Amino acid sequence: MNEKTINLEINGRFLQAREGETVLQVARREGIEIPTLCHHDAIEPVGACRLCLVEITHPDWKGWKGLVTACLYPVEEGLQVVTESGEIGNARRTVLDLLLARCPDSEVIRDLAAAHGVTESSYRLNKVKTTCILCGLCVRVCATKGVSAINTAGRGIEKRISIPFKQPPKDCIGCLSCAHICPTNTIRFEENGDIRKIWGRNFAMLKCEACGCPVMPEAQAEFEARRSGLSAEFFSLCPDCSRAKTVQTMATAFDMTMMESGETA
Amino acid sequence: MNETLDTTNNKVLTITPSRCTACRTCELACSFSHAGKSGPGIPRIRAYLFCEGAGKNQVLTCFQCDEAACVQVCPVEALRRREDTDAIEVDRQRCIGCGLCSIACPFGHIVHERSSGIAVKCDLCGGEPACAAFCPTRAISYE
Repeated sequence: MNEKTINLEINGRFLQAREGETVLQVARREGIEIPTLCHHDAIEPVGACRLCLVEITHPDWKGWKGLVTACLYPVEEGLQVVTESGEIGNARRTVLDLLLARCPDSEVIRDLAAAHGVTESSYRLNKVKTTCILCGLCVRVCATKGVSAINTAGRGIEKRISIPFKQPPKDCIGCLSCAHICPTNTIRFEENGDIRKIWGRNFAMLKCEACGCPVMPEAQAEFEARRSGLSAEFFSLCPDCSRAKTVQTMATAFDMTMMESGETA
Repeated sequence: MNETLDTTNNKVLTITPSRCTACRTCELACSFSHAGKSGPGIPRIRAYLFCEGAGKNQVLTCFQCDEAACVQVCPVEALRRREDTDAIEVDRQRCIGCGLCSIACPFGHIVHERSSGIAVKCDLCGGEPACAAFCPTRAISYE
């Protein structure tokens, strides 16, 4: 390990970090809580939700301090971070106030806002019914998977998560990553055994070779086999049937060992 | 990743089916040590018992494959091999709950938490497997 170790201070605690880590990564590792909506460890941060604002300063900065997003700010030697203060609280409440005005029907936003002391938005409520906070996690997870079937479209108040030309996206593989990662559970899908419906597309499901239960969309199986380099065999059984097969194999092997050693099971 | 099991760690989780009485203490110990709850319905349980009957019980848990399909298929590198125990562990913060690892595992040794979808698999308890410690007949050992 020849990575440089960086010393910094969070809430008065002296901590060590690796070069290139963000303030949020270090704080979470040390059990210091910072609220986030648009962050996921596996996905490149973009600082969209602005909830992870923290206050930073440095002994060399002659008293200058500022609010930055912890998810994007890389650690630096001697950095002093405060994660809770009156100013930070105000900034987070403003963010939540705005989010609440945009998505008054979102339970996640309502609960989070209430936890920060915002029970009612002071702005005019959005007339368009939505629970999407435009954090873009769905877009980013789709890109991380190498699919990129969805993206944002429009600007300003027109901005939305969209499928290309409002047509069922050809590139979508129906993996549901976007739906599962959405912090406000906005992305809807349906499943009825044979068919999975998402983003206006119907996906035929690949069936388990042994029991016939749906394993994953055929389009996804094809994509994953290509991406991972694993053969299609790896996607042909459901986990339960894979396990049953292993048990059978082990039991047979055990019987044979017993027979060979002349014992009876 | 191609090192054999005993190059970094001499300890191996060994299961002796002929000693197993299918008491399922291993499942409870596993559940308790991971989820803090001692109930067989919690999918943290990683030791399975099948084919109950005299001398034919099977206790199964992850084989920690050298070339693991779960690691290969994970789109976000949430499954990684820990150097000291050689166990493949799930990084709960990275896992996106896509379920691919449980499908790709040819042995069916990965399950998912029902609420969050996060993958759950044997991590050898970080080097002190609770199943081995609690097995009353020493059918499971870690030496």
